[in-house]
Order: sequence, then structure tokens, then C-alpha cells
Amino acid sequence: MLKRIAIYALTGIFGLGLGAYTALAMSGLLPGDRRAEAAIDLDGWMGDLTQGSADASPYLRARIARHGLLALAKSEAIYFIRATDDTGEVLSEDCTYRLAGGPMPAGWWSVTLYNADSFLPDNTDQALSFDASRAGDGAWSAIVSPVRPDDQSNWISSRNAGQFDLTLRLYMPDAETLNAPAQAITAPSVERVSCTKEPS
Amino acid sequence: MKKFVLPLLFGAVMVVVGHFAALYSAPNVIMTGAMTMLSERGVPLHAFSFAPRPTPQTQTVVRPSPDLAYSACLYDLDAAPRGLRVTMAASEGYSSLSFFDASTNNFVTIRGEGKEASVRLLPQSASAEAGDDIVLSPSAKGIILIRRLTPTQADYDAVAAIAADDQCGVI
Repeated sequence: MLKRIAIYALTGIFGLGLGAYTALAMSGLLPGDRRAEAAIDLDGWMGDLTQGSADASPYLRARIARHGLLALAKSEAIYFIRATDDTGEVLSEDCTYRLAGGPMPAGWWSVTLYNADSFLPDNTDQALSFDASRAGDGAWSAIVSPVRPDDQSNWISSRNAGQFDLTLRLYMPDAETLNAPAQAITAPSVERVSCTKEPS
Repeated sequence: MKKFVLPLLFGAVMVVVGHFAALYSAPNVIMTGAMTMLSERGVPLHAFSFAPRPTPQTQTVVRPSPDLAYSACLYDLDAAPRGLRVTMAASEGYSSLSFFDASTNNFVTIRGEGKEASVRLLPQSASAEAGDDIVLSPSAKGIILIRRLTPTQADYDAVAAIAADDQCGVI
């Protein structure tokens, strides 16, 4: 009888642990998970319009709780994350990139750099985002690099970021954007300009 | 072999139980942790706290926007049976008053559009109460967040004075 109880206890504990592990893995909550797939892929910018709302799948909700807590629902803001450059290489502070785009279909927008832990990287450059208030009405560009450009280029600092990602926020998106984001949004390009090390 | 069938079936059921228990509890666990951390860093229950300008040195929650100023209020409707009066003071530029339940869902957001916004936050059980200014919370606990656009230090300084008039108090 005791042996039978022990077998059930062991299989139960193993089963619960395996189940919890698969849930965390499928939600992207395991350490070091930098998954990029999402419902919407705008030339490498990944997003999901159910983010922040009760309509989100339980897997997305768990992932957003870890990597985007307190994200707004789509009526107020939509979010896209880019973790690779235009050639598909992971973004790294070892490289310099040119971020370029045009007008966005939103009341306000910004691009912000975060490290692999989803926090602002530890530097004091006060240059971790670029937003609509500095972009003007037409085409715009910004350099993403660990050191400030010599010219007067707009700059997003990647100093101490390691491997990082960029988050595009579109606040007050218009109805057309919510209905057909792939058609309404011209996603910014992320061109790798140079590297001090080969991208990994 | 036959004697292992039932334990294996039991184990398989536990895999499913463990999977969904972890999946559905993860957001609540993370939200509870965030609320505890915010409380430890001085965000009070039932009052707005105006956060320092988001920087690598001041950030408390993942993915803060350096271009926004945040005011946060933790709430617990079990400790406020008649609800809360929540007011976002009027400010120029973008502002929003957003409500997040214990499962991290953003269940209501009100845009400021230059005007003051004021609502009563009540538990879901008070759904019979009438009024255009009522917001019903799906959970007893949660976070209320005000965002204001402040791309520059001057913008942030201007908003700091305005944010002092934000209110989040027990009725």
C-alpha cells in the first residue's frame, strides 16, 4: 500500500512540475527566452493587438505580465518589438544601426531600447528613445549605437545593453491601423552600419 | 505492466493540471509581486504617487517609457467597500487614466484630452449602480496608472506640479 502511494505521489509531483514547465516554456517565461513570433509581423516588428486586454490568450497574457506589465489595450496604444536588424541578425551593442522611418498612423509614437531583461540598459546617456516630437512630419532617422555619433544625428544609446530590442509604441492609433496594421503602418527599417565584433 | 497504467494516467492528468495552474496563475503572481515591489518603493494604497522620470536608475517596472511621466495608485476594494474616487487632473498634451486588474488586464482607459477625468471605481458586484462615471473592477486589487507625455525634462517638471492634484481616495 505504501509503495502504491509513493508511486502516485512521485508521478503526481513529476506531472505537476512538467506541466508547469511546459506552461512557462510555451509562454516564453523561461530564463533567456527571446522568442520573436507574434500574431503580427511588420518587417520584423512583432506585435499582437490583443495585448493588455482580456482578449489576450493566456500564453500572451503570461508573457506580457513578465515582459510588458501594465501595457495598454489597443484602443489606447499598440506595441511592436524588434529584436533583429534588416538581415535577421540579433541586435547588439557591438554594432551601430541606422533606424529610419516616416510618419506613423498614431497620435504619438516612440521607439525605445530595452535590454534582454526588458529594462532600460544601465547607462546615463539620457538617450534611450526617439519619439514623434523630434521626428517632424516627414522621413526621419536615428543612429542606435553605444557611443554618441560625431554629427548631429538623432541618437539612441545602446551602451551596456548587450543584446537588446527596440519597442515601437503607437499611441492613439487610428481605426484603419487597428483594422489592418500591416497595411497602415510602414515599419521603420533597422540597417546595420558597422560592428566592432561579428554579430552572433 | 498493468499496475503502472493508473499511476501513469494520474501523472498525465497532473501534467495538464500543472500546466494550466501555472499558466493562469503566472500573471496574478507577477502582478502581486509588482504591487508588493511598488508598495515597498513608496507607492501608497489609495493615493497617487508621482514617479521619478523613468531612467535606468529609477525604473521599477519592465519597459517604462522615458518619454512619459507616470503616477500610480494601488487599490484594494476589499478595504474600500464603497469604492474609490479617482481623479486625473487636467493637463496639456497626451494623458490617460488606465485601470489594471489583478490578472494584468487593462480593463478601462480614459483619455484626458486636456480635461480633468474623474470616476468612481467599484467592485464588479456593484454593477447595478447607475452613473456615467462608474468603472467596475473585475478584481478587488489592482493598479491605476496615469500616463502623461513628457519627452523633455521641462515637460516633466511642468507635469509634476499638475500631478499633485491627481486623486485616488476611498469614498
